[in-house]
Amino acid sequence: MSNENVSKKYVDSIKQIWSKYSIVFVFIFLYLLCTLLTGGKFGEWKNISAILRNASTIGIIALGMTFVIISGGIDLSSGPVMATAGIVLVFLQGSGVPLPIAILACIAVTTAFGFINGIITTKIKVPPFIVTLAVGIIARSVTMYLGNGATVTGNNQDTGFKAIGNGSLFITPDFPIPTPFIIMLVVAVLLTILLTKTKFGTFVFAVGCNELASKYSGIKVDRIKIWTYIIAGICVGIAGTIEISRMVAVASTTTGDGYEFDAITAVLVGGTSLAGGRGTIYGSVIGAIILFFVNNMMIHLGISTYLTGAVKGAVIMIAVLLQARDRN
Amino acid sequence: MAKLLEMKNISKSFYGVPVLTNVNFSVDRGEVIALCGENGAGKSTLMKILAAIYRYDQGEILLDGEPLPHHIQPLEMQKRGVSMIHQELNLMEHLTVAQNIFLTREPLGKSGLINYRKMNAEAKKLLESLGQDNISPTALVSTLKTAQKQMVEIAKAISFNLKVLIMDEPTAMLTQRETDILFDLIRKLAKQGIGIIYISHRLKEIKEVCDSVTILRDGMFIVSKPVSEVTEQQIANYMVGREVSTSQASDFCGDCNDIVLEVRNVSDSLLKNVSFKVCRGEIVGLSGLVGSGRSELMEVIFGIRKPKTGEIYLNGKKIVNKKPVHAIKRGIGFVTEDRQKTGVVIKRSIRENINLIDQVKNKGFFNSARKHKANTDEMIKRLNIRCASQTQLVSNLSGGNKQKIVLAKWLLVDQDILILDEPTRGIDVGAREEIYAIINELSKSGKTIIVVSSDLTEVLNICQRVIVMHEGMIKGELTHDDRTEEKIMSFATNAC
Repeated sequence: MSNENVSKKYVDSIKQIWSKYSIVFVFIFLYLLCTLLTGGKFGEWKNISAILRNASTIGIIALGMTFVIISGGIDLSSGPVMATAGIVLVFLQGSGVPLPIAILACIAVTTAFGFINGIITTKIKVPPFIVTLAVGIIARSVTMYLGNGATVTGNNQDTGFKAIGNGSLFITPDFPIPTPFIIMLVVAVLLTILLTKTKFGTFVFAVGCNELASKYSGIKVDRIKIWTYIIAGICVGIAGTIEISRMVAVASTTTGDGYEFDAITAVLVGGTSLAGGRGTIYGSVIGAIILFFVNNMMIHLGISTYLTGAVKGAVIMIAVLLQARDRN
Repeated sequence: MAKLLEMKNISKSFYGVPVLTNVNFSVDRGEVIALCGENGAGKSTLMKILAAIYRYDQGEILLDGEPLPHHIQPLEMQKRGVSMIHQELNLMEHLTVAQNIFLTREPLGKSGLINYRKMNAEAKKLLESLGQDNISPTALVSTLKTAQKQMVEIAKAISFNLKVLIMDEPTAMLTQRETDILFDLIRKLAKQGIGIIYISHRLKEIKEVCDSVTILRDGMFIVSKPVSEVTEQQIANYMVGREVSTSQASDFCGDCNDIVLEVRNVSDSLLKNVSFKVCRGEIVGLSGLVGSGRSELMEVIFGIRKPKTGEIYLNGKKIVNKKPVHAIKRGIGFVTEDRQKTGVVIKRSIRENINLIDQVKNKGFFNSARKHKANTDEMIKRLNIRCASQTQLVSNLSGGNKQKIVLAKWLLVDQDILILDEPTRGIDVGAREEIYAIINELSKSGKTIIVVSSDLTEVLNICQRVIVMHEGMIKGELTHDDRTEEKIMSFATNAC
């Protein structure tokens, strides 16, 4: 009898672990699958580190997006806003402004856009979908105006700047860790602490779950929401700095194009609920990496890059379906 | 000839709790029959069964002497001539009047597309037969006034070969003139042989427009009488019905020299010049029918609703609560009526919910997991909350335990004034007694409690003083031996 109970408890706890960390298992499964299909090429550190480097920009945007989505919002302006801030960055960097100031200016621009998104959604009560869509369109247009529709380049000789996106930390000569990935991990750790260990984090979840009950409990709902958009803005600024530093150039029509959807995809694949009130930071990190796993594998397998979208779409649906099934 | 409609021995229970027990109810052709009872007496459930929105567990429904199938669908019920007009009207705001009337039965042309010309013409005919020439069939429902929307509902009901019309509190949102027009229409429809079931708390209206009255109490049939044979007071007595011991309320009436909260001349769209005082340590009851403005008055105090005029004084000092957080920081707590919507964050853990207001009130940036655990442990013990663990989601708890979570949130922050809106609605007897004990204990420790409740027994059992509201006004105040269910009911229905 007691034996049965023990084994039942055992099964239950395994089930719980599975449903809580299903995204981690999916990640490991995909890694093994990709490695197997490519005959081990995929799993080589050279390949993996390239994936991590590429995934970091979307990943960092996804980290901020996670806050917005948990609180019940959405941010469709990330990609264009990143381009606008990027143009500011290359202008300043190209005209000899000290690098730290240029980067701070870039982050200030994205933060300001985040603040505007937050203010309009909460104070004028326009749905965030519409506000951020409109702000994104405006930002893209401003970028094209500033760049005259062309590609704007900064000072290409600045090796310090280029090292942000292209550099690596060498633990051993054979094991370089890409700088962007390290930046993403640092941001992820800070945001995880903010989301899980502070009052603010608790309130973000509460607002996303039940706005009315939060208000009746004395939470300043508007302020919480505005802060989530500001956090999203800061993340876009950091991501933008990394992205721009890799080429020291901004294509005013295409830089950041579609990044907001990739970031949202990463967040959803990572198990955060689009309805709000549920989600994790580490899930979004893994979600972003999974997206680039898929991209990378398709190149290895020689599948047309035009089909990337089809596979991405399928991955989203499968990931979200798996999690929905776990919940019921 | 068989009666128009007969409901025989209807029984119904929700989750094992009986709501209706062997209820018999019948309507004759051309009869306007009032259905009365306290909140929770089972009127709405009975009518929703008739409209096929709920299924009954036992019994039989006969229409024109013919038994109706048990698994009938609402639309089928309408087609057979039974329509219900709900209190919150069921129209599609963004569709036109005609589209609403013929929803799911749109007349089609030869091409298979909707023949709007025919639909609008028929809608116009229907509205004219009701004397509503001024409602255009092509107007959007969102542009109509409440009374007009009601007429559209009636037109829709008539468009099905109407036999029985159920109206739930139809005059709740109408002005006196609109009410008179509605009553004329009711009489006209009755003359055509339609049976009308009229649910209302307004006893005067029942005397005015109804032929007979049927009274339910606690899910049971009590009496059915011609309206001419009963007075309003008698109807109120039947609704309440039982002798209630009032000995349970403690004698302690608070310190009358110490006025904690005073509301002066508060008015807005619903409230009319409301003033009252509450003493320290008092348990005061706020009674009245649904829609009388009780909850709205509490929302004003808590900073959710902004009054047009009027002032609120806390310990003699004027305060303005613009947001709930202001009221919370001043020591006011509010256990709301709808705990799912405004009470708990359902998809988060017990621990997070219990500590939520504590986090709002206290300074500091980081959460203290140890403190949260200790707080939660204390509350689980104190309120006897039955749960598997602190991290269990609130959504998995029973209604009574959810309510205890809401109470725990507020007890943890030790507010001076606690407003409890329907604190025991939908809660079983055991948990109810536990909540009463907590309320008494709080009062003894000097906390001031305002209990808003539709449950008269509850109000009389725990409150030393009862304020009764009717249509946004305070109609009366009852203390000591004055407090009887009959008196509260007659104030609440404005019968005296």
